[in-house]
Amino acid sequence: MFRFVAILVAAAFVAAGSAQAQPTKELTLWTHWAAEQIKRQYVEEAIADFEKKNPGIKIKASWYEKNALYAALKTALRAGQAPDIFYAEPDQAEYYENSFLLDLSSLNWANIEPWAKQAWSYKGKPYGLPLEAWTVELYYNKKLMSDLGINVPQNLQLSGDAFLDMVKKAKAKGIVPMSLGSGDRPFTGAHLTHEALLQKLGLDDYGKLLTGKLQWTDPRVVDTLKWVRSLVDAGLLPTTFTSLKLGEAHIYFHTKPGALTFLNGSWYTSRAFNAPDQGGQPVGFPLGIMKFPAVPGAACAECRSIAVGGSYVINAETKHAKEAVAFLNTFATPEMGNKWLDRVMVQTGIKSDSSKISGPNAEYFKMLEASNRGAKYYFGIPIQVMQGKPKEVFTQVINMAFPAGTIDVDGVVKQMGTAY
Amino acid sequence: MASNTSSMRDDGLRRPWGAIVAFLLPALTIYVAFTAYPVVRTLWNSAHKVLPRREVFVGLENYAALAQDEIFWRSVRNTITWASISPLAEVSVALILALALYAKVPGARFFRIAWFTPVLMSYIVVGILWVWIYNFDWGPVNAALRAIGLGGLAKAWLGNPNTALPSLIVVTTWMWIGFNMVVLLAALHSLPREVIEAAELDNCGWGQKLVYVILPLIWPTVLNLIVLSFIGKMKIFDLVWITTKGGPLWSTETVSTYVYKRAFEWSTFDLGYPSTIAAIWFVIVLAIVLTLTLALRQRSKLEY
Repeated sequence: MFRFVAILVAAAFVAAGSAQAQPTKELTLWTHWAAEQIKRQYVEEAIADFEKKNPGIKIKASWYEKNALYAALKTALRAGQAPDIFYAEPDQAEYYENSFLLDLSSLNWANIEPWAKQAWSYKGKPYGLPLEAWTVELYYNKKLMSDLGINVPQNLQLSGDAFLDMVKKAKAKGIVPMSLGSGDRPFTGAHLTHEALLQKLGLDDYGKLLTGKLQWTDPRVVDTLKWVRSLVDAGLLPTTFTSLKLGEAHIYFHTKPGALTFLNGSWYTSRAFNAPDQGGQPVGFPLGIMKFPAVPGAACAECRSIAVGGSYVINAETKHAKEAVAFLNTFATPEMGNKWLDRVMVQTGIKSDSSKISGPNAEYFKMLEASNRGAKYYFGIPIQVMQGKPKEVFTQVINMAFPAGTIDVDGVVKQMGTAY
Repeated sequence: MASNTSSMRDDGLRRPWGAIVAFLLPALTIYVAFTAYPVVRTLWNSAHKVLPRREVFVGLENYAALAQDEIFWRSVRNTITWASISPLAEVSVALILALALYAKVPGARFFRIAWFTPVLMSYIVVGILWVWIYNFDWGPVNAALRAIGLGGLAKAWLGNPNTALPSLIVVTTWMWIGFNMVVLLAALHSLPREVIEAAELDNCGWGQKLVYVILPLIWPTVLNLIVLSFIGKMKIFDLVWITTKGGPLWSTETVSTYVYKRAFEWSTFDLGYPSTIAAIWFVIVLAIVLTLTLALRQRSKLEY
């Protein structure tokens, strides 16, 4: 009996000893998407899967809304108390310029799109896992469009004049032609103008405009601004445009009061494909996707913006660099890329194959693919390219005042001209 | 020798240094840590580019850049406009309300609570509330205008550069009237009865009593409220951040929101430039408050 008890006690000590020999490592992750259930679920499943395969490692995730996360990170990074892994977007140059990010050269880049890697590269080194990529899409309500007697052409692109005509028809019927708001984001209201400028100028000159190498007094720029202004004057946008928040703009489009179109990032799905009682679109909502209208005299009517959005980066001061890279590598597989497409229904920087998507979301992806067929992409939206004063002026002028109709074309040219 | 010792003992009794240090040290430590050091540090930062893990001396470079910074001067104009109009509006309306309560209008008890309630709410709640009130489509302001046939005047009050700042001034006025009213009411209740009665015996009407007796007696309270309100508006941040974030076209940008943007939103970790703004603004506010206090005190002395 004594021997049996002794063996049990010894076994317990051995077990405890082995447990002590392999203590659990806890990695902290601060991430956006607190209110975006689909993305959150995707990440949580990846965490669970990683923890299962790596029993000694735990990932402790804290979920934030984007603005709160950014504010918290600014303080935490400076104080040396930032998490091991955190959410970031490629426009946050201050992170890599101040050496806060770990060089991710050891990540499995073979499974990541080269353009997405490029978006996160600084001085030849990559710093972020480009999980989310998105295009600016023009969503529309098929039923309302049909009721107005407007046929979306085979190539999905209305001419500039036809689009203006559509705006007038919708207004005449008391329908808001386009849901769009700039209440809580520095870029949502700007889509209208920057997509038009991109088409009119083409990829190279558009890039020059954003970096201050092409003047805003260029006649092509002025013409485009006048065209956008004609849409605004025709009543394109909601009267609540300046205060309408991003989440509210979704509901404004698909539920109340219901708008004809919605110009938004292709991450529309992460909110709209939730259940209706969680802010999602109504069941059976007749969603369609068309191309941004062809701007009169466009140098490149097939040009459009694609941006790398939500990404994960690793704190340069982490004590668990190897484990953190291993965690990010769990996302860098074609299976995870396809799962992202299937679940989140937004493009991704991870190599994936949308033809493998089946089930209820397959139809949506066909529409998204059709809208992007033959597209020439400009990588990044203006606020990802601009920094400092030009970014601030762009936000105030192009994102808010110009679409709201409170500044005229001359005012825009003057303000943007003095911003650089 | 004996007289020397006695003198030292007397000196010790007159100046008990141990006790002085013991009593002063806690307060002094807190003052140095949380007031003096941050001020000195801000001044130091303003002459540097302050990046994580390194500081670069730039001398007066930040000050030169600030002198050319149009957005900063726009925010200064907005803040001073706000701080000039708001205190006068708040105290004027609060005085009328306080006099109404002092005269015991029917329902005075209810009105005292109702008028005071807004000050109990945070700027965050007030901001959200007034974004609804100013909503173009269904906000009560535009609904009321439409109801009385003035629908043409309906507008996006916070989305228009011409109306955004006045609209926010209305909000702070609405919010702080109650506080000013309560303080003025207390001042009215503490007026010496014999002076009021003497004025009544001299056949003073309400108007004369107000202008020649009541107002001069509560004038110091009025001045204090004006200065307090002025200082509060010079620092305003929360309401603007919740409602307009300084827009549209910087029409509601205040110095505080601009400092925050430069420190946390301009894709830079540099705290040098925001510190320069804070340093300059500190000097401006101090100068105005000192001038205001001296000028008004001088006048109130003449009044008495």
